[in-house]
Amino acid sequence: MSTAHLIAVGSSPLGKTDLPGRDLFSKALAEAFEGLPDPADVVDGLYVGAQSERYENQIMQGTLMAEWAGLRNVPAERVEACAAAGALALKNAVRDVRAGVHDAVLACGVEKMTAGGTEGATNALGAAFERALEQRSGITAPATYALLARRYLHETDATERDLAKIAVKNHQNAVANPRAMFQQAVDIETAMDAPDVAPPLKLYDCAPVTDGAAAVVVANDEVAADLQSRPDTVRVAGVGSAANNLAVAERDLTFVEGANVAASTAYEDAGVDAADIDVAEVHDAFTVCEALLAEAAEFAPKGRGIETVEDPEDRSAGWTDVQINTSGGLKARGHPIGATGLLQAVEAYEQLTGRAGERQVADADTALLINEGGVADAHTVAHVLTAQ
Amino acid sequence: MTEESDSPMTDTDSTTTGPLVPEDITADSPFTLPGFFAALAEGRLVAARCTECDTHLLPPRPACYGCGSRAVTLSEQPRTGEVISYTSVNRPPSAFDHLAPITVAVVELDSSARLTGRVDASLEDVTIGDRVELQVRDPETVDIDPDFGLSYEEEWPIHVFELI
Ligand SMILES: [Zn+2]
Repeated sequence: MSTAHLIAVGSSPLGKTDLPGRDLFSKALAEAFEGLPDPADVVDGLYVGAQSERYENQIMQGTLMAEWAGLRNVPAERVEACAAAGALALKNAVRDVRAGVHDAVLACGVEKMTAGGTEGATNALGAAFERALEQRSGITAPATYALLARRYLHETDATERDLAKIAVKNHQNAVANPRAMFQQAVDIETAMDAPDVAPPLKLYDCAPVTDGAAAVVVANDEVAADLQSRPDTVRVAGVGSAANNLAVAERDLTFVEGANVAASTAYEDAGVDAADIDVAEVHDAFTVCEALLAEAAEFAPKGRGIETVEDPEDRSAGWTDVQINTSGGLKARGHPIGATGLLQAVEAYEQLTGRAGERQVADADTALLINEGGVADAHTVAHVLTAQ
Repeated sequence: MTEESDSPMTDTDSTTTGPLVPEDITADSPFTLPGFFAALAEGRLVAARCTECDTHLLPPRPACYGCGSRAVTLSEQPRTGEVISYTSVNRPPSAFDHLAPITVAVVELDSSARLTGRVDASLEDVTIGDRVELQVRDPETVDIDPDFGLSYEEEWPIHVFELI
């Protein structure tokens, strides 16, 4: 089995932009291939994560992005698992490189969410929920996560203020991230005083609607060695994924079991434990997710995931010293659905290669990424990345 | 299962259990959505029950996510249960706009089966542990934008919980 290396990364501006999806992809591609040969001389396959054709009335993004990258007559496929699509593209690229199917693969993701306004995004995202009983009851993404949050607050000591602190922490992290949609701090009172979206979740508990794209190159040992201009590649050491139930009603509302399985699988694949992880990007589409995922990744004891906001020395016994969502997370970096899993990989790449600037975590050499789609862990993809 | 399709609401020792055969999968059977909603329109909420691990599957389906078994049988459900979690949809999908804010809850029925549904009460009047009863309403009376429904969903009733 070949080793899979992450040899280059790029992202578009994140936020409400004037660029359509394919142009956002061009931005991400241009950054990823700065100083590299043409994509056609590096990669021989492509996966693109894209959540919904409702935003731009466009499917077939595999073909489209391959064209825009100058690739012709190579396998180029769109993958979809709602917000887990980006990590799914990465997973497939890693699988192909490990298996020797391809020497190098472009994994990318794109979403032009603002095209139809908030209503368009709400309706497009609504398709991720179970149709017969849940969509037909009028639920939305914030509402499904509010059902998790309400139960979490009921079963643990956590409060709405604890959830708000997660948003405050992620906004603070984003201040030092030039890629972030919101490169600005938010204070706790602003977060607490914000309007309800789906109680107990308020505006700052929810990741924004974001336009954006990301692209990363996954390559085998030979290609990675050839591209000596980027000697500081990172290794994709572990992969795991799992599908749980689609309907929120049929889940354990306070334990994201599918995410636990995906993370555990990735740890085992990489030969590491939760305690080895220095930095983690986890899917904080809503603040409660970060707490739930800290527990599912076995960073935190059950019910104590909210201590993600504390410095390691101030956390309860049983917590690891991991730093979570140094990028600002989905909340503040931005959440262009199909690209999010790859934006997580971009942050891990920067942390593991010492390029994270003011947000650099000292001696970071092992990272965990958790990307989810549907309600929480309806679909989870986890990756462990290690410094060379 | 074919013989049971005329009287699929029983959950007795005499009820055949799966694996379903292709002939069982008809629009008359609550193992399909048309059959499930036809029963619901008549006031019967039907789940599948796994005879291996007792997990309830709502709506019914051919295999158990709890243990993987296909030894599933139909089981008519009680209409009462309690609120496990709840929230309010302040900005619903456009077809539900005029109903906003919509109180929704995850309800655990007295059988242990769980489903999500609207609650016919304001958010302030609902809390975890509240007892509720399932009601079934004609889609026209709920006044959801008809464009929301797919052609095959038009006759399917809309469920809602009432506090008791
Ligand atoms: Zn079972």
